[in-house]
Amino acid sequence: MARMFQISKYFFMAMAAMLLATPAFAQGAATSNPYGPLAVGIGMGIAAGLCGLGQGRATASAAEALARNPGARPGIQLFLFIGLAFIESLTLFTFALLFVRTA
Amino acid sequence: MPTQLAFTRILNDHFAPLANSILSAVHQPAAHPTAPISNAFAMELLVFLVMLVYFVAVRVSLSVEKPSTIQHVSEMIHGFVGEQSESIIGHGYERFTTYLTVLFLFILLANLMGLIPGLESPTSNPVVPLGFALTTFLYYHFHGIRANGFGYVKQFLGPVWWLYPLMLPIEIISHFARVLSLTIRLYANMFAGDLVTLAFFSLIPVGVPLIFLGLHFGVSIIQAYIFMVLATVYLSMAVAHDH
Repeated sequence: MARMFQISKYFFMAMAAMLLATPAFAQGAATSNPYGPLAVGIGMGIAAGLCGLGQGRATASAAEALARNPGARPGIQLFLFIGLAFIESLTLFTFALLFVRTA
Repeated sequence: MPTQLAFTRILNDHFAPLANSILSAVHQPAAHPTAPISNAFAMELLVFLVMLVYFVAVRVSLSVEKPSTIQHVSEMIHGFVGEQSESIIGHGYERFTTYLTVLFLFILLANLMGLIPGLESPTSNPVVPLGFALTTFLYYHFHGIRANGFGYVKQFLGPVWWLYPLMLPIEIISHFARVLSLTIRLYANMFAGDLVTLAFFSLIPVGVPLIFLGLHFGVSIIQAYIFMVLATVYLSMAVAHDH
């Protein structure tokens, strides 16, 4: 029973911390900034470039693995697709954020 | 007054009072009372109608001796999804094939719809992918509870008891982050595809945008596949038994 109280105490502490954190996100209204296009260029450039590097590494490893063991194609393909989707989604978060904040 | 596609205008001409009364019944009155039905909703309805016709056609033409073309196609899709989920979920995957097949076909049709002139992808509006993601979220939690009972809570806790207070918030956040990432991935891909085609159309209006339309076609198929695979992976994690 004491352990239950302890768990719920930590749980509610974490929840309270998250509630306090919410107003911080709401700050900084989206005003039209003259540096908006510059931010889009730099931010999207970094995101896309690093995403390209990451996806290149992933694809290179997958191709190498496939060359060593062509029989393992379904498994490798599945992991490649899932991995690429997760890497790419980071760039897409950047894209969505830039679009929301600078448009 | 938002711009309306032809199909949306037809729907709004006939069903605007009905849609308005439904929206005011849930206390969310439409922003434009003359056009309460959005393009995304109209396109979703179109996908729904196409899929209804497709499944009815498959069911009516079902035959063991002389399988028709449409039956071959649907068997192929069913086999593809079934094989995929068998390799990820393993034993007892048959239960989920229905949901995953419908999810795959719906997203595929919705994505490809943007390539037809006069129509647009409903998935390039963030609300629609959010609907898919929330449905998937509820579905895999439901099956997790069904498969593991109360022991499903154990998946949210760490391996040892003193990690529980740390792991529980992290796991809860990560489960909600799945909804976010599923939504943004599909939405941003579809939206960016349309935007890139438009941007190049404004630069060189002949020939070159076609390359990006082709790219968009590939991305549409891949994203539908990815969404289905991720739903399968989440399902497999939820229904897995701890050993």
